[in-house]
Amino acid sequence: MVTIGIPNGLFYYEYSSMWKEFFEKLGLHVLISQDTNKRTMDTGVKYCNNETCLPVKIFHGHVASLKDKADYIFIPRYHSTSKDEYTCPQICGLPDMTAANLGCKHKILEAKINMDVHPEETKESLIEMAKTLKIRPSKVIEAFYEVYDKYLQSKTEENITDLKRVDVNKGKLLLLGHPYMIYDNYLSMRLIEKLKKRNIEVFTPKDFTHEIKRKNAYPFQGKKFWNIGFELLGSAFTSVKDKKVKGIIYLSPFACGLDAFIMEFIELRIKAKCRNVPMLKLTVDEHTGEGGFDTRLEAFIDMIGV
Amino acid sequence: MKITFPHMGNMYVPIKVLLDTVGIKYVIPPLNTKETIELGVINSPEFACLPFKAILGDLVYGLKNGADFILFGGGSGQCRFGYYGDLLSEIIKNLNYDVKFVCLETTNITINGVLKKISPLTKDKSAFGLVKAILFAVKTVFLVDKLNRIAAYTRCREIKKGETDKIISKFHSKVQKHYGYSEIKSIIKSTKKQLRAISVDRKLKPLKIGIVGEIYIASHPSTNFEIEQKLGNMGVEVHNHLGISKWIFNHFIRNNLPIKKKDKFLSAGREFVNTDDIGGHGIQTVGASIFCARKKYDGVIQIYPFTCMPEIIAQSILSEVQKKYNIPIMTLIVDELTGEEGYKTRLEAFVDMLEMRKSKAYNQLYIDI
Ligand code: SF4
Repeated sequence: MVTIGIPNGLFYYEYSSMWKEFFEKLGLHVLISQDTNKRTMDTGVKYCNNETCLPVKIFHGHVASLKDKADYIFIPRYHSTSKDEYTCPQICGLPDMTAANLGCKHKILEAKINMDVHPEETKESLIEMAKTLKIRPSKVIEAFYEVYDKYLQSKTEENITDLKRVDVNKGKLLLLGHPYMIYDNYLSMRLIEKLKKRNIEVFTPKDFTHEIKRKNAYPFQGKKFWNIGFELLGSAFTSVKDKKVKGIIYLSPFACGLDAFIMEFIELRIKAKCRNVPMLKLTVDEHTGEGGFDTRLEAFIDMIGV
Repeated sequence: MKITFPHMGNMYVPIKVLLDTVGIKYVIPPLNTKETIELGVINSPEFACLPFKAILGDLVYGLKNGADFILFGGGSGQCRFGYYGDLLSEIIKNLNYDVKFVCLETTNITINGVLKKISPLTKDKSAFGLVKAILFAVKTVFLVDKLNRIAAYTRCREIKKGETDKIISKFHSKVQKHYGYSEIKSIIKSTKKQLRAISVDRKLKPLKIGIVGEIYIASHPSTNFEIEQKLGNMGVEVHNHLGISKWIFNHFIRNNLPIKKKDKFLSAGREFVNTDDIGGHGIQTVGASIFCARKKYDGVIQIYPFTCMPEIIAQSILSEVQKKYNIPIMTLIVDELTGEEGYKTRLEAFVDMLEMRKSKAYNQLYIDI
């Protein structure tokens, strides 16, 4: 049986179940790389240029770990996720970059997602994929639309956490960052868990509806922007309206070009328009030690008094 | 109203011609100063790329010196350049300057669109004057470009070192003191004459290096430590594939043409990249390097600002290009902390290596015969 390896990094945090289900529907065996650990990181660092951002380095580590175990490695090319919503250039060039760095071009399976201007690319790339896998193209396309529709549906139904749902006595914090930063236990040094242990209610972009985030994503409402930018700006400006939100933590990998801009938009706006919500910027690179990280976190929590 | 605008290579010359002709007042930030870059750095987020910081620095300088109107060309899509305009205007708003910030979308520019956006500046000017000014400016772009190409030719071949640079720097100081198309055209003409009069070694076969990478850094001398001059003075013929005139052609002229021709570097780059756009000019960097290899250049230098995402991808792919096409490629990454000495040493080492490689290839040929 053909085994498809799915790297457990970057896109995986948002689209894991969708792609797993997709390949299983095609009757293929799916192998997902282990959660990020020190080895993943060290291997990834070895294969990449120094300037590459940390999550992409780690992604290389995941791919490397699958290289000998799987027949193909699946790396989708997310270009634009929906109308007017774009991804980071490194995400868009990911299949080419990993192919060059790991020398495994022949093993990479690609699906293109370019919903804003070239939605037809998805179908074309699926037909390519079908050829490689020797499966009937119509079957592949059908499987894709099934899982994709399900994904879209779940996006509109899920979350809708009411900001007021929580215990009035608990302090609230907003945690911002790419999903592959805040939900990766290794990269985030179990940040969410640590906050919860201190009896703090943590919100993340998942807790707000798609629409409200788009509506509040100043100054990009109705314009083109990065998909993650809508998520983060929208969550930030929605949550600062709630007086119980005592602070924001922004977890960012070293040298992320998008975060540099998004963070600045948030800071400027909060300074200019909203009440002054304190924001802690935590930057993680391959040398960050947990001790220093925790100290900064604790100092911040003490300062805002949640 | 007084306008200010950021520098990018020699772009200020045609912009000046344009504004002089229409009769709009302006502040030009100084070329090549630490002061403007520093102004940019202190007002920018730490991990913004150097082009952003340099541009912000120029604009803040302009505002400090009396400008109250900013015209900026932005884009959209994946590269951060698309959002420069929005962030610049937010930062400047926060600095409490009384300024009108107009952002032009350059990915799909049309003459009508531009005219509408700049109408506050031009409402009392004649349409005829405007069109004339635009034509003059476009002509100037190509004249200045030509000047640069002649300089690249003479610099590496001149007998008395430093002559070309002297003429070019005189050119810049003269341009800043004169006004209007005819005056500036005559300065360009006389500079051209002077360059042509330099005595050069015509038999010399210099090393040929192509420059590829992020367009702003590659074409803006004060952020690339005058890479073209430095290499030229080491006796290298430099081909910068990111001339501003080409950028203007791609963005302004092509969009107004009925037939769209595909960019040749983009098509070449597709060999290693399975899509048409990864943001910025990443694919063109790959394509231009392949082009240099095919044209038998001795080497390629990729230059880009720290944290520039499209170029990071290109850099990974260039190691494949290097292997497949057998051409040495060096990558230089710059930010505001880059030291000039270390940078120069790297350039020298690369040039030495290319010299050795060339003479070895030559000797090899000799032995084979
Ligand atoms: S968005 Fe940031 S962290 Fe994610 S791939 Fe791009 S540069 Fe890396």
